[in-house]
Amino acid sequence: MQNWGIPRRYLLLLHSIGASRTGLFGFCLVSVLALMAIFAPWIAPYEPTQVDMLNRLQPPSWSHWMGTDLTGRDVFSRLIWGARPSLQVGILAVLIGLPGGFAVGLLAGFYRGTMLETILMRIVEIIAAVPLLIVAIAVVGVLGVKPIAMGPFTITNEIKIVVVLGFLYIPGLARVVFAVAAAEATSDYIRARRIQGVRDFTLIVSDILPNCLSVVIVWGTLLTAGGVLAEAGLSFVGLGVQPPDASWGVMLSEARKFIFSGEWWLLFFPGLAISLTVIGLNLLGDALRDILDPRHYTGPRLD
Amino acid sequence: MWEYVRRAAFSVLALFLISFLVFCLTHVVPGSPASVVLDPDTPEEEILEWERDHNLHLPVITQYKIWLLNTLSGDLGESVITERDLAGELADAIPITVEWVGLSFLLAVALGLPLGIISALKPGSWVDHIARVIAITGISVPDYWVGLMLVAFVAVGLGWLPAGGFVPLSSGLGPHLAALVLPVVTLGLHYMAVLSRYTRSSMLEALSQDYVRTARAMGLPPWQVWLYALKNALPPVVNVGAMSFGFSFAHALFIEYVFGIAGLSLALLNAIHELDYPMIQVTVLVITSIFILANLAADLANLALNPKLRKSK
Repeated sequence: MQNWGIPRRYLLLLHSIGASRTGLFGFCLVSVLALMAIFAPWIAPYEPTQVDMLNRLQPPSWSHWMGTDLTGRDVFSRLIWGARPSLQVGILAVLIGLPGGFAVGLLAGFYRGTMLETILMRIVEIIAAVPLLIVAIAVVGVLGVKPIAMGPFTITNEIKIVVVLGFLYIPGLARVVFAVAAAEATSDYIRARRIQGVRDFTLIVSDILPNCLSVVIVWGTLLTAGGVLAEAGLSFVGLGVQPPDASWGVMLSEARKFIFSGEWWLLFFPGLAISLTVIGLNLLGDALRDILDPRHYTGPRLD
Repeated sequence: MWEYVRRAAFSVLALFLISFLVFCLTHVVPGSPASVVLDPDTPEEEILEWERDHNLHLPVITQYKIWLLNTLSGDLGESVITERDLAGELADAIPITVEWVGLSFLLAVALGLPLGIISALKPGSWVDHIARVIAITGISVPDYWVGLMLVAFVAVGLGWLPAGGFVPLSSGLGPHLAALVLPVVTLGLHYMAVLSRYTRSSMLEALSQDYVRTARAMGLPPWQVWLYALKNALPPVVNVGAMSFGFSFAHALFIEYVFGIAGLSLALLNAIHELDYPMIQVTVLVITSIFILANLAADLANLALNPKLRKSK
């Protein structure tokens, strides 16, 4: 089989995902949504912020698959564009949390039993004792939803959410990396490498880090789902993406005004989009966990 | 035991850090609260005087010290917007939130545990498949969307239940409970899913142990084997359950917003929209405290349920 230069283990991983029906379903859902987000300008039939007052509050039809909203904007187009902030926040928050989680987990795991481990893991414990969502809301709420100008950069509200979430992800990621790193650090091959005179830094980066990757991939996927939910929730209560930009949370927040008048399509489709994204990521994460992290596997079947 | 004292100490430390963080944030943001409260064309001297009245001219650390001492002595201060006593506002909001979130958690336990256990007893069966679909949907679908749909279809469409608000008990038990049904179900379904997932995996783990095989080989009736396994499967579930209880107070935020329940979370959201910094500070602390207390309760429950932990510590 031709593998187009893709390392064999990634093909094997894809193959294993395909072998689990739910994993494949999750993988497909996530791929479709990712493509939707990337190619939004080409897929969306209308401009997401294009107002059309003559066609406002139209129910779903052939020209507007998911109907139109109060100002005649096409719900389907807004839905496609809305995939962008959701996935951006979900993925970027994990990417920000990863270096921190790796650094803390690897160091604490490798130097287990030293002062360094105690200090790092205590800090992790303190941050983990904090409800993530409430802190994110408080920070964004206090800083305000307006973009902050900082020299040549503008910090949009999305960036604030990404940074806060990413920081709060560090303890969780540090814990899983720590668990693997601590077990690896006492293993025979590391002892052998040490006798060969390999430096600690090399041991950590080139021997232990690769072994932590699989666990991190699992948790990264599950935390991305959390980020998507957080972005939607914050936007829903008015602390995330700001209208008129399209985001699923913003669309739900606008739909709230039409609960009593029966424009069900405004409410139904954005919520469905959030749900499918999170279901996809969770199913994919569960499948990856079964493949990459067998110790967490829920146990062999009995029947 | 020492382990738990240590954890309690860390929880208190976490509370301090959060209060300090939020305090600092509220004081470094550009724009003084004076600009929110006072008229835009108030003369400069009056603004300065107002800031002096609220200790805003002092360094942040000193202000924090004053605030902390006052809070510890039970004086929470007053809202800068409504000038109402914060302790009074909290006394109104906390019981509401505790009641409906508590009820929803009871619902979650009552449905989630049996669902997870049945699912684990017959893995691969159609009951298991349905239970797992319910579980993955329940943890993935945003609960505020479920709430909105329930309002749109059950409350508005069918007209069976009130669409929102909180009816105090003094207006009669019937209306009081009727108003609670939808929010309680919305949040309860979410945590039912969370709990059933953990119960299933913990129960499967217990059923795969050697002692279960031995018990089966000895010809014990299945229900007795299940009971033994359940005893060992429960401690991690209790732990997750207590943590979920803490989390559900954070999750309650969206649902109080959807249903317009005047509880803690709605107080926090309103305070954020009005830039009422003292109120934000206090509500965040109260919610964090509930969260931390729930975690402590989880630790203690584990200690009580797991004899292995008791001996080693």
